[in-house]
Amino acid sequence: MSAGALTIVEAGSTQVTDLGRTAGPRYGVPANGALDQRSARIANILVGNPAGAALLEITALDLEFTADVDILIAVSGADAHLTVGGVERPNNQPVSVLAGEPVAVRHLQRGLRAYLAVRGSFDVPLLLGSCAPDSVLGFGGRLAAGDTVPVRRATPPIVNDHFRAELYRLGVPETAMDFVVDVTDGPDIADFGDTAARLFDAPYLVTPTSNHIGLRMTGPLPERLATGEVLSRGVPVGAVEVPPGDELLVLHRGRGVTAGYPVLAVVASYSLDVLAQVRPGQRLRFRRVAAEAAASRARIERAELDSLRHRVDAVFAALDALFVSNHGRTLL
Amino acid sequence: MSSASVVISSSGNTALRVAAVTGDRETDWRLVHHLARFLDAAHVPGIECVIPTYDAALIEVEPTASLEQLAGFLSHAIGSLPVERPLTDSPRTFDVPVLYDLDDELDLASVARAQGLTVADVIRLHSEPTYVVRCLGAPGGSPMLDGPAFPAPVPRLASPRAHVPQGVVSVAGRQATITPAAAPGGWALLGRTPLSVLDLDTEPFVPYAPGDLIRFRPIERDEYDSLLGTRMAAS
Repeated sequence: MSAGALTIVEAGSTQVTDLGRTAGPRYGVPANGALDQRSARIANILVGNPAGAALLEITALDLEFTADVDILIAVSGADAHLTVGGVERPNNQPVSVLAGEPVAVRHLQRGLRAYLAVRGSFDVPLLLGSCAPDSVLGFGGRLAAGDTVPVRRATPPIVNDHFRAELYRLGVPETAMDFVVDVTDGPDIADFGDTAARLFDAPYLVTPTSNHIGLRMTGPLPERLATGEVLSRGVPVGAVEVPPGDELLVLHRGRGVTAGYPVLAVVASYSLDVLAQVRPGQRLRFRRVAAEAAASRARIERAELDSLRHRVDAVFAALDALFVSNHGRTLL
Repeated sequence: MSSASVVISSSGNTALRVAAVTGDRETDWRLVHHLARFLDAAHVPGIECVIPTYDAALIEVEPTASLEQLAGFLSHAIGSLPVERPLTDSPRTFDVPVLYDLDDELDLASVARAQGLTVADVIRLHSEPTYVVRCLGAPGGSPMLDGPAFPAPVPRLASPRAHVPQGVVSVAGRQATITPAAAPGGWALLGRTPLSVLDLDTEPFVPYAPGDLIRFRPIERDEYDSLLGTRMAAS
């Protein structure tokens, strides 16, 4: 049941997505979903949504919309110039929006993708439990000007009555935009012999054919020395491959789930978020890490998000208690 | 880590590859699919998805899961899988009509040349066998099959096509498939089926499962036209 709707005024390159179709690969369908999973999680946490709630993924171009009910939003990921009713508002904070006020997300910098969550999330069709668009299946896709996105609930404004501003510090963990990409050795690294080490020789330049399926980049190319047929196998998200041609291929969440190319290295789960923010024309470096180190860093990043959720929940509880004492009814 | 029948290796910090090495490819195939079914049914916390293929299974886990513990658990569990049991007691058979590439728009003639065969031989070798669906693959749940009995493996195209339409019947290496959804691809294309393979209103989106059977049947243009858009179904 929806309480209202967003109406898209300027769509840019925006889609409704979530953390992805985790059940899909069993049936030959990639997970897809938010390419920068961490930023998507942060945006949802900041409005009190479950981790897997549907939200907007905004890629490179400007977005503008209005809502026909009061809503609470948060923008995370690439630095965005967020305005509500023409007034600049912060990223990485819950921001109240009144019905009819134009919301604009413009001039994405320090990254390629921003995420905008609305408290209560959206009513959108699901496929295998996920709303993530799949360009191969022809499911979902980019929003267009004039589209409406149903919002599940309205949220009355939570701005301070006296200052019209937030007085809390939520402490959203910083995202490093140094474009260092951690990789662990792939299961087929031996196929590349000594040439595998070329991956760490020099920076790679990301080329414009990159997308949600994979990033293509030029730089020193390792060579497959082993010969013989490779049977199709499941390919991990983050697989680093050397297909025919003169580019390195790093697969992302839209990758074909099976392929017959040997896997030289695999990008650490947290570095997939970094890859999601690299623009064509920018350079990145690979850094070889041990599997235990990658696992440990992944756990630390998740623990940071868990404690962010605790802080946000505490703030919402306090705001709600205050509202109840002042107005005799619950805010959230 | 390895036991007698599998080699388990990490594929990044959120996936394990279990490669079956029993020495028998049918046993390898059954092992990885029984493993996938076991893990589906067990609902092991931390496991997101299993992708069983011909001789390997990729197990995707959440970033907070421990791959070491999972590998230890798997090497015990695999010992008790019913690897001799068929994947299905009553496999369904799918009859797939194919308009082979007689207008020379696809790769039929070049495959024939490279194999030292006539076009008629290639069609015969491709449409003679009854194929076992080995696994569902990319794109869109393609039925991954063993390739026809060509003299040599079929090389992948030097430069992949940016757009392979749905319904194309293709081969590469010692494998064959049907493409349910349009996608880029580097396989050699032999022909097209008029059947519609993908149906997003049913989950999963394709009508066959690993262990089912597929037969290709050469058809002419008029039959292709009359069948175009018919949903693929078991005979």
